[in-house]
Amino acid sequence: MISSLKHHFLVAAHLIKMSIQRTLEYPVELIGWLFANPLQFVLGIATIKFVIAEFGTLNGWTFGELAFLYGLAVISHGLSVIFFVQTWFMGSAMLEGEFDILMLRPMNVLFQFFFRFFYLIGITDLIPGIVIFIYGCSQIHLVWSFINILMLISVLIGATLIRGAVFLFTGSLAFWTKSRNSFLFLNFAIFDQTTKYPLSIYPRVIQMIFTFLIPLGFIGFYPASDFLDKGNIFNSSGTMPWVTLVVGFFVFWIVTRIFRRGLRKYESAGT
Amino acid sequence: MKPYLYIAKTKVLSALAYRFDVISSIAIQCIVVIATSYFWVAVYGDRQSALGVTREQMLTYTIMSALLACIFTANVENRVIQSVRKGNVALDMLKPVNVFGIYLAEDLGAIAIALCQNALPLLLISCVLIQVPTPSSVVNFLLFLFSVSVSYLINWLITACFSMLAFFVISIGPLHQTKNVLIRILSGSIIPLWFFPESLQRVLSFLPFVYIYQLPLSIYIGKLGFSEILTQTGLQMVWLLIVYGVFTLIRKKAFSNVLIQGG
Repeated sequence: MISSLKHHFLVAAHLIKMSIQRTLEYPVELIGWLFANPLQFVLGIATIKFVIAEFGTLNGWTFGELAFLYGLAVISHGLSVIFFVQTWFMGSAMLEGEFDILMLRPMNVLFQFFFRFFYLIGITDLIPGIVIFIYGCSQIHLVWSFINILMLISVLIGATLIRGAVFLFTGSLAFWTKSRNSFLFLNFAIFDQTTKYPLSIYPRVIQMIFTFLIPLGFIGFYPASDFLDKGNIFNSSGTMPWVTLVVGFFVFWIVTRIFRRGLRKYESAGT
Repeated sequence: MKPYLYIAKTKVLSALAYRFDVISSIAIQCIVVIATSYFWVAVYGDRQSALGVTREQMLTYTIMSALLACIFTANVENRVIQSVRKGNVALDMLKPVNVFGIYLAEDLGAIAIALCQNALPLLLISCVLIQVPTPSSVVNFLLFLFSVSVSYLINWLITACFSMLAFFVISIGPLHQTKNVLIRILSGSIIPLWFFPESLQRVLSFLPFVYIYQLPLSIYIGKLGFSEILTQTGLQMVWLLIVYGVFTLIRKKAFSNVLIQGG
């Protein structure tokens, strides 16, 4: 048991090291993204600020509170880019028979698949996320107590897993559809619209969908509403950050089952 | 004209072949337009109007902006990047027609399909779920149509200029995204620029982006007076000429460069 864990750890560490080296081979690309990605988020939060400056609040949320929510969501987005970028292109990987290599090796396919890429460029999303989040924290006067930090870590792990699960799910669909399309941009659009604003601006039906069917509300809205004492349909007082973690592990577990089922249908490439 | 029509037709046929792409692109546009509409409903709250624009006008703006985004997709960028990388650009240049004429014809063919495949479903869904986006008057609608065609060309030429970077650098990955974000936000396609701070608005009025989305949309919802429409449309035409000038300049440089790269 312990030697197996140690073996997995060593393999993962080695794969991550190789990924980082590969990324650093092309430093110009990293620098390019270091400009392009933050721009998108900075302009995104700036436009929210301009609108709030005119109207005062968004459904009772001040700009500082919105920045807290937005920053939290962008951080977990950055983390999901670093850890789960390979799921974005599962359709192509499948059609080109890339799973052949993974299935021939004496190790769990999903484990290998996850650690095959460690996308360092994701830090270009992470950095603006952290900056916006810290700004939000200072605006809402968040107390940096031990329990709060622990809750934030719990939210970020849970939220990153939820994002990863969604990408792994739409990617796994390619096992059945045999399509190159992994619904990448559809996922981006849904994530963007459900985590940028408080979920409470949407009608009840949409809120329910993004709570119980596709639990994206747990990425930012529910935990943030607890931190900010905003109230939500659960009337949770401070428990949401932990719920996010549980939801994250739960949906991720379900999706890995779907992945395994799909893998049985894997047919490799035609050539 | 005939070869261009043929190119446009083949594009229509190939676009029909990818059904998952079609479904997801319609879904994406619906999600964006519905979410943005609820955002406006939430910020307006009980207020009837803000900065001279009523809530109904704002929702019409949002729906029409999404419809424009459907038809403003210019594939010229990917097309040029791919053909330069694979060397197909040499073949395109051998054809007895203008190379960028080919690309424009392909994109216009794509508009025809986008209108039926994306814009129409999006319009229907918006009418049912949000509201019917009626123009403020018939005259405004006609002026809007004219302004949109100029917008399309400005957007297309900017994208085409951008695509030619492929002749000079090996990869333009992140720059492509930067350009898209800048156009999307600085053109007022999501949040109209009249919400931006005064000073920023003044700077942006000296850039062409505002004439891509915000001007035709403002005409459509009736935010601008008649004289204002005329001066703004005049400026839009000037921008079209400027962008076209830049385009021809870069094209000359790029085409002399392609010979150096050889094959």
